Amino acid sequence: MTAPTESTPQAIVGRRRIVPALRGHGGASWHRWRYPLTRRTPLLIETDYNRTTLAAERRILNPRPVLWTVALLILSFAPPLFGDNSFVAASTNFAMYSAINVIWMLTIGTAGIFSLASLATVGVGAFGTAYLSVYFGFPFWAMWLVGPLFGLVFGIFIAVPAIRLEGFYYALLTVGIAELCRVYVIQSKTLGAAAYGLFGADGFVPKGMPEHEGLVIGYYAAFVLLLLALTLYRAINGQRLGRLLRAAPEKHEAFAEALGINYRLARIQVFLISSAALGGVGGFYATLLHGASPSLFTMDQLLLLLAMIVIGGIGTTEGAVLGTLIVTLFDKVFIDLGPVRLILIAGIMLITVLFLRGGIFGIPDQFAAWRAKRQSERRGLQSGKGGEIMPEDAIEIADKQSIAVRRFDARLKEELRGLISDALIEEHRTTHGKRRSDPLERVLTFFRRQAVADKYAILAVKAFAEYRIVALSGRRGVPPRVVDDQVFATPEDALHGVFVKRVQDLMES
Amino acid sequence: MASIRISAYTDQLSVKAGDTLNVMASADATESVRAQLVRLIHGDQHPDGPGFIEQIVSSPIDRDWPVRKQYIQKGNFLRVADVAGKLAPTGAFTLHAYIFPTTPDAGRQMLLGRWSVDGTAGYGIGINPSGRLEFWVGDGTAADAVAAEVKLIARVWYFVAASFDPATGVATIYQEPVINRYNSLLSKIVPYDYRSHVSETLRARPSVPADTGFLIGGATERNPARGAFVGQCYNGKIDRCGLQSGVLERTTLDAIRDGGTPEHKNIIAYWDTTAGYNPRGIGDTVLDKGPHQLHAEGYNRPVRAQTGWNWNGRNDCFRLAPEEYGGIEFHADALIDCKWQPTLSLTIPSDLRSGVYAVKLTCDEAEEYTPFVVRPVAPKAAICFVVPTASYLAYANISGALDSPAQAVHGATSIFDEVDVEAYKNNIEFGLSTYDLHDDGAGVCYSSWRRPIINLRPKYRTPGVGPWQFAADLSIVGWLEAMKYEYEVITDEDLHREGLAALKPYRVVLNATHNEYYSEKMLDATEDYLAQGGRLLYLGANAYYWCIGFRDDEPWVMEVRRPEGGTRAWQAGPGEHHLASTGERGGLWRHRGRPPQKLVGVGFTSEGMDQSVPYRRMPDSYHRAVAWVFAGIEYDIFGNTGLGLGGAAGIEIDRYDLSLGTPPHARILAMSEPFTDNYPLVQEEIFFMTPGLGGTQHPYVRADMVYFTTPNNGAVFSTGSIAWGSALPVGNFANSISRLTKNVVDAFMAAGPLPGGA
Ligand SMILES: [Fe+2]
Repeated sequence: MTAPTESTPQAIVGRRRIVPALRGHGGASWHRWRYPLTRRTPLLIETDYNRTTLAAERRILNPRPVLWTVALLILSFAPPLFGDNSFVAASTNFAMYSAINVIWMLTIGTAGIFSLASLATVGVGAFGTAYLSVYFGFPFWAMWLVGPLFGLVFGIFIAVPAIRLEGFYYALLTVGIAELCRVYVIQSKTLGAAAYGLFGADGFVPKGMPEHEGLVIGYYAAFVLLLLALTLYRAINGQRLGRLLRAAPEKHEAFAEALGINYRLARIQVFLISSAALGGVGGFYATLLHGASPSLFTMDQLLLLLAMIVIGGIGTTEGAVLGTLIVTLFDKVFIDLGPVRLILIAGIMLITVLFLRGGIFGIPDQFAAWRAKRQSERRGLQSGKGGEIMPEDAIEIADKQSIAVRRFDARLKEELRGLISDALIEEHRTTHGKRRSDPLERVLTFFRRQAVADKYAILAVKAFAEYRIVALSGRRGVPPRVVDDQVFATPEDALHGVFVKRVQDLMES
Repeated sequence: MASIRISAYTDQLSVKAGDTLNVMASADATESVRAQLVRLIHGDQHPDGPGFIEQIVSSPIDRDWPVRKQYIQKGNFLRVADVAGKLAPTGAFTLHAYIFPTTPDAGRQMLLGRWSVDGTAGYGIGINPSGRLEFWVGDGTAADAVAAEVKLIARVWYFVAASFDPATGVATIYQEPVINRYNSLLSKIVPYDYRSHVSETLRARPSVPADTGFLIGGATERNPARGAFVGQCYNGKIDRCGLQSGVLERTTLDAIRDGGTPEHKNIIAYWDTTAGYNPRGIGDTVLDKGPHQLHAEGYNRPVRAQTGWNWNGRNDCFRLAPEEYGGIEFHADALIDCKWQPTLSLTIPSDLRSGVYAVKLTCDEAEEYTPFVVRPVAPKAAICFVVPTASYLAYANISGALDSPAQAVHGATSIFDEVDVEAYKNNIEFGLSTYDLHDDGAGVCYSSWRRPIINLRPKYRTPGVGPWQFAADLSIVGWLEAMKYEYEVITDEDLHREGLAALKPYRVVLNATHNEYYSEKMLDATEDYLAQGGRLLYLGANAYYWCIGFRDDEPWVMEVRRPEGGTRAWQAGPGEHHLASTGERGGLWRHRGRPPQKLVGVGFTSEGMDQSVPYRRMPDSYHRAVAWVFAGIEYDIFGNTGLGLGGAAGIEIDRYDLSLGTPPHARILAMSEPFTDNYPLVQEEIFFMTPGLGGTQHPYVRADMVYFTTPNNGAVFSTGSIAWGSALPVGNFANSISRLTKNVVDAFMAAGPLPGGA
């Protein structure tokens, strides 16, 4: 009987399931619904066998529709129901700025054009429609209709340099254009230089309506605007233009072009569409506030907008909306905090930029990457312990026999290392084609039995003249690789060269 | 510039004067090759031997020939010639099949349907890249699909179906396991729920291009360089399958799942994979029992005679229960016939003497040899050398050294050549040997010579061994030339086709170094030859070992099954031990009552590739009946040189054994010196596993040189060693092994009684 050895303390591994998984449909007939007129199925449910229980379990691959539905449901009733007047006004602002950011995301994310003139485009739309209303008596609905025209014209104007300028320079240029607009409107008498803004335009809230009701109507109008912006985003990003542009990501444009994808045209198209939409938002802005203010062109507003999308994470609509929510919360709701709130916003933005790669919505991915990295680090530490497979790694290995073989080989290697000596290596060199000692045969048998992947073999570059050591791939289609620059004149020399290499590997393992 | 590469094969391996031999070649980076007819004398380039020797024979092919790149269609599938377009249903339809997928994770694989990959058109049921069953349709611009909910589990039998109604667009997947106690890898104790029944409303409607045929196990693809070919090939088995009109109700499909025959009124086509068996096997045609008789034709020999979904473990052969043998096995990497266009043709001149020849194709540094044998129109010589083409087929394009435990088998690190690397890199483009496994782990049971065979080349060295088979056999040819014997050459194919008649004209027959694979007819012919007074020199080892089969209509394809016994590269599945080509039981001849000992006195006992050893004379060799064999042999220990691992005894070795049928009057003339432990006793000799089965400890690990007489002045001389042939050329064919062989051949050539009065 062998004496029992002390067991090494190991933490219990395996993740406890918090939410019970839904079982697969099994023998039941399951009709999978699709979104109308698409091939997409809701939530992209995927059923797979659980490795531990072999039970078929359903997983939601795309939970975003659920999140959106819940969020939009809350937005559809909560602010007017639970908020005071200033909260409703702030919510209206939030909805409108969310709409702007969602559309802006089309420019930056989908089209990949780093324009900072988004708010300026809204401003052009707002001033343009306010002008038409103040001087020509345009009613609010006409202002909504012509707003996109102003946006489009302005878009065409600033699209031209986008073709020629690289990202950073183009961003600078758009900041300059916004500043130019600001200087123009505060000096232009027609655009209300004296009153710091052009006011007196028509509004969609009926005159004489009580303040609270008027604010609620304003909020719902802004909410509908946000829904329209989201629909536009979906229609552009999720359809042909979006697909086209995803096929031509940054640094791979040349390849996409070679495939016949006209990504330049698609970019400009998306840019112009979003410019028109921003002009529309401008028209809405003018009807909401009965005019336009030069603050639309100011640097501080632009920076707040930038903070919104950076915090949420560039490239997703939910990021744009969440970022807007956070910044609006600090800027408008915690207004009592005074200027400190701006420092807070800057702080959040700084933390996001420094520590989060994809904004707040990038956190899950980043966390998963961090966990994987930590695991591999731990694995690296453990490999010092004779290559034992740790409990958390064993979960990932489907064929448990490989764990047993690894432990067996580790023990055998330990034993064989005790047999290696200069005399044994010399014996190998001098006994080619002769009977060998039992210790040497034991070592050789272990070497020859190893798995094919990474196993040494010999390539006859020129038969009976030039031999080299290679390592096999073990995969058809992948040729062996030459392992070093040693060249051997005879097969015997090469065989001994392989032996020496294998002995080295054995002693180092 | 890409390097020039020439690959070629001939349509025949054995020809005689007047026959036309076609050479099929494909070349990279050149449009022209130089052709020459050469007679092959010696192959092995080992420095201890005479090196490579060829004789150029002037012939009409001796000029430049245009060549191009020719493509290879790999993969098993069944093709249905649907001239009337019955398989392009306009209304609702249902596809169904029993399937046993072996690599569901290997990417998109087609089960059955008409699908144009490049055209995105047609319909089909198959396995999608996520490993799930999927039904898809395409209208020429867009595809749409419905997939099963759960993944397919490998090596489990399922009944699957998919129905589609163009009126509503609803497509429904039906997936149910049909596991019994025998047929699958897993049993019912495993808590998988394999079932899935999913329907979706598809946006596309199938349009089937006229040039996209109905395929089982593949889909049609096209590219500008190659034209149309078949891709998305499937790995696994398919049993009875069909196409029916209408959307079959779930209960109707349940009835088929439970073993019912489909109702006749709905059948458009029903391929009954169990139909067409006869006691002698089955061919490549899969019969359609439907109204239109749309029979399906197998490509690259899908493996038939395999167990089906309803195999219940009791019957071990299709002859007993064909209805349980509906399994047809498909492999995406199968290759039987390259079907290349001929590059040049050669009419065999009437004055060309019998021998081993090759068409040599060259362009700059690149060269290719396509060997073949010229047999006599009317035999004249006393000596016949039988070229073991069946065994060459077994080893054709073996890739063992690069992806199998070859080093452990050989007892040495593999040494391979650029040509091996090239073939491996090109994903074994010329197909596999019967020592290899298909990508799904199944053993390869068919091999054919209608493809370039890189190791059937005169200069080829087998990794880990050196000279082997063809290159080693050329050492016997070189020896016959050096000894100035008049000899003629035939092949296994001739022996199989003509039987005793092929050997009877000769006084002496020489077998090669390793004639391991024998059909029943070949074995019968050898036995009959010896019984009627023939004299045989068996200059090899591990011969007359595996039972193989050929189909008369395709003699270039050899079949082997590897059941439970024998030194084998793989293991045939349960119930799959019988040859589809002939209906006979495969495996070792020993296990069918015909051990090699019964025919030539010795049989396989061990193999190893680290070293060969000399022989030592045995006491029996001094008997006057046999002492003449050793005339001129000075030492008791002889044969201590050779191109095959440095000795005359080794590589694979045979042993005398009365219990296995060695004739009682046989004598052991000599026995090998001890081998190393890299020569273990063969598996079929081991009943209880004990330590000490290696050459240093087990008395059965030895090569026996055996001699005995047969009726009517016949005789057998066996060397019991593969290395014997490669020992002949040492010292410019002047050595003890050469002398001893000459003693025997000279004695056997003389008419009348044998020397020694025995
Ligand atoms: Fe063999």
